[in-house]
Parts: sequence; structure tokens; C-alpha cells
Amino acid sequence: MTLKSTSRKNAIHVMLFYSGGCNGCDIEVVNALLSPRYDLEQYGILLTWNPREADVLIVSGVVTWQMVEPLKKIYSLIPEPKAVLAVGACAVNGNVYKNLVGDIGENKEIWAPVETVIPVDVKVPGCAPRPEDIIAGAVKGLPKLMGAP
Amino acid sequence: MSDLNTTLVFTAGLIASSIIAIVVGMAYSLILPGIERKVQARIQQRIGPPILTPGWWSVLKFMYKSKTEPIAQMPRFYKSLVYFGIAIVAFLFLFTTPYWWSVLGWGSILGIAGLLKLEEVLYVFMGSQSQSILSATMPVPDLAKGSKWVGIRREFIEQHSADRTLKMMAIGSIPMYLALIVPFVAARSVTLSNVVLVQNAGYHSAPWYGIPLPSSPILFTLPGALAAIVYFLGFIMIMNEKPFSILKAKIDVIEGGVLEYAANLRAGYYIMRNLLMFALSSIFVTLFLGIPFDPFTPSMMLLNMLLSLILPVAMSALVAFSPILTFRQIYPTTIGLSALGVLAMILSVSL
Amino acid sequence: MTSAMDQKSTQNKDAEKVIEKELSFGPVHPALIEPYRIRLFVNDEIVEDCEININMAYRGIEKLFDGLPVEKALLIAERVCGICSHVHAWNAVRVIEGGLGIHVPERADYIRVLTHEFQRITSHLIFFGHAFEVVGHETFAMRSFLLRESFMDLLQYLGGNRVMPSVPIIGGIRPRADLTEALKKVILERCDQFEVKYADYVRRAVEDPVVMSRLEGIGFMTKDEAIKWHATGPTGRASGWDYDLRKTMKEYKPFDFNVIVLPEGDTKARVVARALEVLECLKIIRQAVKNLPEGPVANRDWTAKEMKYTEAYDETYRGELMHSYSLDQQGLVRNYKIRTPTITNLAAMEQACIGDHVTEAILTIASCDPCLTCCTRAELVDNQTKRSRFMTEYEIVNKYGWRR
Repeated sequence: MTLKSTSRKNAIHVMLFYSGGCNGCDIEVVNALLSPRYDLEQYGILLTWNPREADVLIVSGVVTWQMVEPLKKIYSLIPEPKAVLAVGACAVNGNVYKNLVGDIGENKEIWAPVETVIPVDVKVPGCAPRPEDIIAGAVKGLPKLMGAP
Repeated sequence: MSDLNTTLVFTAGLIASSIIAIVVGMAYSLILPGIERKVQARIQQRIGPPILTPGWWSVLKFMYKSKTEPIAQMPRFYKSLVYFGIAIVAFLFLFTTPYWWSVLGWGSILGIAGLLKLEEVLYVFMGSQSQSILSATMPVPDLAKGSKWVGIRREFIEQHSADRTLKMMAIGSIPMYLALIVPFVAARSVTLSNVVLVQNAGYHSAPWYGIPLPSSPILFTLPGALAAIVYFLGFIMIMNEKPFSILKAKIDVIEGGVLEYAANLRAGYYIMRNLLMFALSSIFVTLFLGIPFDPFTPSMMLLNMLLSLILPVAMSALVAFSPILTFRQIYPTTIGLSALGVLAMILSVSL
Repeated sequence: MTSAMDQKSTQNKDAEKVIEKELSFGPVHPALIEPYRIRLFVNDEIVEDCEININMAYRGIEKLFDGLPVEKALLIAERVCGICSHVHAWNAVRVIEGGLGIHVPERADYIRVLTHEFQRITSHLIFFGHAFEVVGHETFAMRSFLLRESFMDLLQYLGGNRVMPSVPIIGGIRPRADLTEALKKVILERCDQFEVKYADYVRRAVEDPVVMSRLEGIGFMTKDEAIKWHATGPTGRASGWDYDLRKTMKEYKPFDFNVIVLPEGDTKARVVARALEVLECLKIIRQAVKNLPEGPVANRDWTAKEMKYTEAYDETYRGELMHSYSLDQQGLVRNYKIRTPTITNLAAMEQACIGDHVTEAILTIASCDPCLTCCTRAELVDNQTKRSRFMTEYEIVNKYGWRR
């Protein structure tokens, strides 16, 4: 365990990018991070709103057309090493917005899995995922961060 | 010959004491944000982060991140600002250590006040330079041809933060300076050594292993207590913490001018902020209690470091219980605090 | 107060305003977690005009419904919004129940109302958390999130999911969501515990002079303005407009509760109105649990057949909600239209924040409780023919491209 990986393990700044889902995952993420019950800070995970400070980008929701460019831009602004967490069924596979369509056949309004826009490292399924799952997902992203040069 | 010898010995001592002071001060100052967050978290019924996480580990982690170019009008100038900041804060801290007291009169009210003002100016530069993605340049289609307002200058939130910094510089730092003056007025001198001498008569003659405790700290007199209150609130204003964090209010300007610092620069910013917090707390202990941060008198150094916890812990308790004040409330608050500071100054003449 | 309002109305009339600069926030921003953009036109610190751009969350939801069987459509309806998921699902089934005259058992109605009030409490507590976060008071925000957890638990016991409880189905409720005697006891216990803690929390927040000095005297909206801008829900009721759809709904007939109407019309009133409403919710919950009638929870005796265009209205946590659709011969959904409360409250938000400081303007917008995930539309008006049609995001981007 080098000093580098120890420091990366002990201080993780996460940033929430809410790309246009239904608010459910988003509230769960902010709630899980903030609320005293699932206090994420006790594991050394801190919430930030600045891509320059972040290590982990949490993307919740399907990516709508107007959020594609901001998402790419903000992803590119995070300094290496970085990890992306896709939280919620929408971010993982598009959920009802992608897969449950009537006559129109294909929903062209959304870029459904977040993977089509930016590379994703950890996927947390569920509609909406439980806070415990989100915490577990944040931890799953650790090896990538710690192992990076 | 003996003159040269004394100069050489003095210079060697100066360098040695500076190195010890900076290393110990920096290492210690990076523990403070953890304590700060922990106190807040306990007030909010949470466990809170490990003590070392917001300070030490964060700084180390940012050091290990890959270097990135900030988006700024003049990137190299913007990058240099953080190093200027560290230098200013480091000298501010060093000027209060005993070896510097006799160097060119820097260990006086002038050195402290001048450097503090410089530190504030840095935020104006940072704010006017930084051009974060989070405001005007966010790539979303938001301009409409049929809008009521077309062709209006779009400003970055950091620039707005710089505007606010100017206002805070004009009014927000007055209480701090008034409170700083009080111990000097009480000691009838402008040098730090006299301020310490008045409160701690045995300090200058004590051996290195001695524990010269102060006999008559200014803090326990009426003007000193008033000034300490004003100093505490002025400390929060200089630190830009809640309730006076209007220039980096999270809800509109997010972090203000420091938004674009990434990787090693952000580590530098963390060091600058925390060292400033420790320096101001240490100055408080030196001025109001007569216990200087003396690297060659370990007992005094440890006492100073221990008592330096008072201000950050009190600040984090206040931060947890207060909202962000807008200029609507900051103006009257500052005027009231300044009046209190002036009162303390007038009273301290009688000491 | 009156002088401030006079000032504001004269400012509105003054068309020759000179604007110094524009500040724009979002869609990624700590104060507006949802993707929307606020453009503030400011002189120094004073907001002269405000523009809210909500286009970022367009998912084309109304189009998705077209041609789906109604039971499937319900799944999408619930996912219109994650904060008010139950009311979207409920209102979607109320359309077909009203249109085809499907009988709903009384017990099912009670449990639907119960879930509705659970979610109203969690939604209002999110609002407090967010509002105090915007005020900058983290401790109150944390307390609010902690209080909310007890009702999130109840939702989980009831429906199996914290966010999407999926209680209503057409003709009743899911049998899984039926109330057992044990759950009844838990609910009543939780309500008692919650009420004590909550009353203490609200008292402390309202009596805190520093916090209240931030909330008082900003974001004024008179009753006439509220009606003019269609500010429904607690936002309008805090301006003295006594308008609550629950009083006219047949599901709410058996319950005794008050409508909270406050005359002040400032940001503090909007916060306090919601705070008092939570206590009324507790009243309804207790009545629903104690007077719960026996009987079946679902009426499966219905078939989807052709239905004319039907509308259903409900009082959600933010205001008035409209769902409407028709069914074709095969029983497939056609012409789904949703009008969410935030759409009607948007104009009120834009207008109420004029004349305040930048920091306070964002607080005023937050105090109207925006929830913009629901619907976004672009309207294209042809000047020659005076006809308009809605454009989708896909069309807009293809036609006009990105700004940069």
C-alpha cells in the first residue's frame, strides 16, 4: 500500500451529474450522501459540485439531448484518474424511457445508457437503487482510482 | 569580527526556526479542517469524515492527480496566484515567530495587517481570472432570439464573486484590523515583542526548556474580551466562512475564484487556506494570551498549537448554526462589530 | 411590506431598465440539482429580471405512451417524477376509472390517500432540506433529511420500494400494498414519534432569528399576482389564495382536514405554509388508518375499451396536476397529456424574485419548490397562419444545432 493509493482511498470527492432522469435516484444520491442515516462522509467520501475537484462522477438518469454536451465537457474537465458511476436503471439501460415504447418504436429523445456518451466504470442498477447499493457502488470504483498511475 | 559572528548565528537561527515553524505549522494546519468538519458533523448528528480526510489525504491525493491546465484568461498568472498565496500566508505566520520580531520591524502590526490585505486582494485576482464551465460557457442552448434582453454582457460567476470580494475588502475586514490594534494599543507599542512582554514578563528571559506562562493576558480584561469577540468574527470574515461566505456562497457562486484550481494547484489552495486559518489562530493566541509560537521553546510551541484550536472549533460550531448572510445583513453586522472594535480600542487606552 | 410591493410593481412597469450584466446558473449547480438553467439579469446585486430555461429535462414522455396498453402505461406514468411518483400513478388510473366508470373499493381509496399523504410529507421534507441548504443552514437541512427517513421507511414497508411504491393499479391497489394490522400499528407509532420531533424542528427553525431574517421580506407575491400567474398549491396558498383541489375530490370526502392559507405571500410564508401542511397530513394519515374500512382492495372486473378524451385533476405536493388521455378501440392509450404543477408555477417563480439580491432570488425560486423533471415542450408558432405545434428536442437540435 503506497502513500499514493492510501491517499486516494481515504479521500474521494464525488460529483453528481443529474442528466435528466425522474429525480428519484438524484434525491436518493444526495440524500444518501447528506442524510445522517447513510452518512457517506464517514467513509471519507466527500460531495463536491466542482468538476475540477472531483474524482468520481455519479451520473443518474437518461441523458437528454441537451445534457449530452455538458456531460462530455464536465467529464473531460475532471483531472485523471477518474471513475464514472452510473446510478439507476435509467443510466444503466434506459429503463422505461428506452425499453417501454408504444407506436414510436424508438425513443430518439434520449441517449439511453450513459455508456453511449462517456465510459462507465461502475453500474448500480435499481429503480431507484437503495442507498446501500449506491455506497457499495462508490466503493467498487475504488480499485480503478487506486491502481491508476 | 564578533559582529559578523552574531549576524551569522542569528541568520542560522532564523533559517532553522523558519523551517521548523513552516513544517510544523503546515503539518498541523492540515489537521484543522478535519476537526472542523467533525465538529459540524457531530452537531448534525452524523459521524463525519475521518479527521485526516479533508486535510491531509485530500492534499496528498490532489498532489498525485495529473496536472491540468485551468480555463482562465491568463492561465499562468492564475496558476501563480496560489503560490503567491502560500508565500503570503507563510510569511504572515513566520512574522509572529520570535526570531522574525527583530528583522526590519516586520514582527509588528504593520507586517500582519499588510500581508492580510494582500491575501484578500488575491481573491479579486482569482475571481477575475477564473472562467469555469459552470456558468456562462456551459454548452446548453439557452439564448433565444425573441428574448426580452438580447446582447447583455454575460458574466462568469467568478467575476461576480470578485465584485463581492471588493465589497468585503472594503467593509468586511475593518473589524479584524480594529481588533488587531487593541493589544498593540494596550502595550503602547507597534512591535509584537512588546505585546508579548507586557502579558508574559518572564518569556524573554526564560531558558529553552522553561514554561513561562503569561501573568496578565489581555484576553481577560474588558477591552481584550471585546476585541477577542470582534477578532473571532473578523477571523470568519477573512476566512470567508459561513455566515460571511457571500463571496463563495455555494448556492450562487459555488466556490468563487478558486473554482478552476485542479490537481496540484488545488492542493496548494487547500494548504493556503488551512495555513491561513492556523496563522490567524496562532496570532490570536500570541496577541491576546501572550504565548508565541516559538520553535526553540517547545513548551510554548505546543501550548500555542493547542490553544490555536479554540478559534477553528468555535468557528465550525458557528458555521453549523448559521445561514449565509447577504449584504442586506452583512453591512449592519459589520458596522456594529466595527463600533465594538472602536469601543475596545478606546477602553484599551486605559490599560 | 406594502412599500416593498409598491416598489416592485413600479419596477415591473418600468420598461426602460438598463441591465448591467447577466448571470447564468445551471444545469449543473449545487442550488438547482435538477437540470434547468436560471438566467438572472442583474444590476450590481439586484435582480432586475429572471428567465428560467427548463428545456434540459425533455425525455419525450408523452410520446412514449402512445399505443401502449393502459396497464403498461401506468409504469411510465409513475416514472414521470421521482418525488411525486405516487400521485402520477394515481392520477393516471383516475383518468380511466373516471372515463370507463370503474368502481374502486373504498379500502383501496383509503390506502391511496394514505400513500399520497406519506409522499406529501417526504416531499415537503425534501423541500425544507433543499430550502435550508439554499439558505446555507446545513444543520436544519440534515435534520430534515433525518426526519424524512422515517416516512421513507413507511413507504418501503407499504410498497416495497422507497421511491417508487407502485401502490395504485386500475380498479384498486396492488394486494402487496394492503395494510396489515401490524403495519397499522407501526404507522401510528411512527406518526406519534415523528410529530414530536417535527414540531420541535419547526419551532426551532421558525424561532431562529438569523435564519428568518434571510427568509422574511423577500420574494413577495400578492393574491392577485398568484392567481394571474397560476401559482397553484402551497405557493399560491401562501399568498392568500384559498385553492385546494383536495376539498373537491371525492376520495377526500371522509377526511377532516384544514387548508393552510397564509396571507403574507413572502418566502417565509411559503416555507411555513408547507410546514403547517405536514401536520394536516398527519391528521389525514391517522384518520385513514383508524377508519380503514374492511373489504377487497382491487376490482378486477373491467376491460379496456374505447374511451373519450378524459381528464383527471389532483392536488399534488406542488400544486395542481392534470393527466388526460383517450383509449382507442383496442384499448391502447392515445393522446396522453400531462400538465405538472411546476409548469404553472414557473411564471410565479420568475416574477417573485425580481428586486431582490442574487442569493435571495435563488432562494425565492427554491421556495416555490420547483420540480422540473416532468415536462418540457418547445412551441413553434407560425406567424402567417397563427398556428402552433410542439417541437421535440430531437427536432430542435437537428434544426438549430448546438449553441457552441
